[in-house]
Amino acid sequence: MEKRNKILNIEKIQTYYGVSHVIQGLSMYVEKHETVSILGRNGVGKTTTLRSIMGLTPSRSGSIYIDGVETTRFQPHKISKMGVAYVPAERHIFPGLSVEENLMLAARPGNGKDAWTLEKICDHFPILAERTKQDGATLSGGEQQMLAIGRALISNPKIIIMDEPSQGLSPLLVQMITDVVLKFCIQSGITMLIVEQNYRMALKVASRHYLMGTKGEIVKVASTRELMDNPEIIQSHLSV
Amino acid sequence: MGGSLGIIVDITLNSLVLSGVFLIVAIGLNIIYGLSRIMNMGHGALYAVGAYTGYTLVATGLNYFAALIIAPIIVGAVGLLIERTIIAPMRKRSMVYTLILTYGLMFFLDGMIKYVWGNKPCFIDLPAFLQGTISILGTQYPVFRLATLFIIAAIMGGLMLFLNKTRIGIILRASSTIPEMVSCLGINMNYVHMGAFVLGSVMAGVAGIIAGPLTTIDPLMGGEMLISSFVVIVIGGLGSLRGAVIAALLIGFVQTFAEFFITDLAMVIVYILMAIILAFMPRGILGEGKFE
Repeated sequence: MEKRNKILNIEKIQTYYGVSHVIQGLSMYVEKHETVSILGRNGVGKTTTLRSIMGLTPSRSGSIYIDGVETTRFQPHKISKMGVAYVPAERHIFPGLSVEENLMLAARPGNGKDAWTLEKICDHFPILAERTKQDGATLSGGEQQMLAIGRALISNPKIIIMDEPSQGLSPLLVQMITDVVLKFCIQSGITMLIVEQNYRMALKVASRHYLMGTKGEIVKVASTRELMDNPEIIQSHLSV
Repeated sequence: MGGSLGIIVDITLNSLVLSGVFLIVAIGLNIIYGLSRIMNMGHGALYAVGAYTGYTLVATGLNYFAALIIAPIIVGAVGLLIERTIIAPMRKRSMVYTLILTYGLMFFLDGMIKYVWGNKPCFIDLPAFLQGTISILGTQYPVFRLATLFIIAAIMGGLMLFLNKTRIGIILRASSTIPEMVSCLGINMNYVHMGAFVLGSVMAGVAGIIAGPLTTIDPLMGGEMLISSFVVIVIGGLGSLRGAVIAALLIGFVQTFAEFFITDLAMVIVYILMAIILAFMPRGILGEGKFE
């Protein structure tokens, strides 16, 4: 009953990166139409959490459910087909492929009029529309981030998991991505999980926040309101 | 025989033909390496299988051009069988495993060739209109060799269209850069690796049946071509398609001209050239080589 609204549900996963035990019993969930963040210091395992969800670094124990289906041992392409779109911190735009080819590789038909298509991406991101034939590798950092997000949207996913969208971008670009791209995604009802070190950005876009401790577990869950009213929570968890 | 111009034209055209054959074999090897990091030591043997299969098809009365299509399909099927049985199970292991396995494959295929076709050299009979010569700039040049140049150009053009315009081609190009991200877009990389091996094998087969009428088909042809295609992809930069084009032209011309002027030292010159290029450009002439 309760699980029905959870697009993503993680129960006590344990993930190793080589011999190091990175994620030690992490549990969390994301409900439909919700934007959730995972906040934590550098190196606590935020990226590994996303890689476990995506099947790139599968967890050794515990369970991951996508829309109620257990996907813990699924390969990445199957998890993608379950409706998970991944935006890695490095963006991973394919060099040698045009902007359009980068998008079309990910395109998957969606339901109804609101489905994302190449035209709709171009309408909403005019910068990409001007550069459809250009090699994706020649785009600027901000444009590549936009393309990576566009590539996630065009697969019409159930959830987008995004790793440090602010990484390597100037404050101005971070603001642009936050205000123009992410807030727009949220308004259009997309379910999102964002991993960030930049808590200011996370507070602007997400409604619920998981604070990650140094042992790769969740130490606190808080709403945006709670974190804004009690800045000492972030202070004690995120600052050095 | 014409004058010295005729000789130069003759050698130049021969160089282009040889470059074209090198290119097709080497690109097949490169596609497999670029996408799966597998150095297929059996690639030369597949080239030989292409030539022998073409020989048998033509000997049983099939039109050469029909054989040109069917022989590579047969070699592609052999490639599929190889990939499923000995390559796919080793996907997660280090490259050494497939290197040794395909080295064994080379001996296996060579043995099969001797078992099926024997040790005698074979010749592919050409249709009447491809026999004879044509006069070009003071030389009488074989019509078939000229036709080969067009066939090679058509194959390369077709390959470029395939890689640039089809969805599968776009997947292959993306997979040669960031394979992990390709799988995150819902594409099963097992099929990509399988497709790359089959495509590479088809290329070896095509080259085999093209080269068949140019040379004698004998059990040594595979080994010789394997070495030549290594030289081409190493000089061009491992995994670099553009580099392979330049390297194939370079080696085709150097080898053909050297064979004309100093026959015995031709291959020595090719290897010295390779050593010099590698000493100064370890990632190939375009610096695009991928190795780890």
